Amino acid sequence: MGSGTNIGRVRGLGSAQEGAHHWIVQRVTAVSNLLLVLWLVFSLVRLPQYGHELMVEWLSSPLVAVPMMLMLVSIFWHLRIGLQVLIEDYVPDHGVKFGLIVLLNFFAIGGAALGIFSVAKIAFTGVAA
Amino acid sequence: MALVGVPLLVWWLCAISAGPESYEYFLSWFNWGYLGYIILVGMSFAFFEHMYSGLRHFVLDAGAGYELQTNKMWSIAVPLAAILTTGAMWLYIVSKNIF
Repeated sequence: MGSGTNIGRVRGLGSAQEGAHHWIVQRVTAVSNLLLVLWLVFSLVRLPQYGHELMVEWLSSPLVAVPMMLMLVSIFWHLRIGLQVLIEDYVPDHGVKFGLIVLLNFFAIGGAALGIFSVAKIAFTGVAA
Repeated sequence: MALVGVPLLVWWLCAISAGPESYEYFLSWFNWGYLGYIILVGMSFAFFEHMYSGLRHFVLDAGAGYELQTNKMWSIAVPLAAILTTGAMWLYIVSKNIF
């Protein structure tokens, strides 16, 4: 292990030992996204109209609220991992890369929390006018 | 999808949970000219493209489909299938509104 070029410093060390989990989670969430987003597309397309009252009634049903929440977790997890790899691969500056990954995590976790809270509020309170 | 579709989805859920007025405001953006249709057609195409591309990559992950001809065929089939599926979905939506 030399102290010269980047490739010289890592040559011979073997794998980082932690890439496979990331890769597998990306695939697992891809499968759950496939099922859950197709469910959303088919459900939305088949609704007769999209007025507020019907939306609240629809989202209050456990068989809509639960898959909707699961879908939010699955989607945000998948996009967080996917955009993380995009940033790691295409942003050369370490400081910018670090900042973008922090922003990405805020966006993914904050967005998922906001979405799940909204669904929970609709499901539990039915929304007072 | 991550930067346009998902924020729209969360905005939609937030607007519903905040009450009829917020939802009307959300809809007023969608009913601004053809904006809603442009975005929804675009997002549905983006979704189907990503979905078929993801399915193609599942096959590639399994180690299959790397022959040049096969690989090229599926790389062309993915966007075509996405266009066809998007078209079929919107045909269904339009026909539902007419009949």
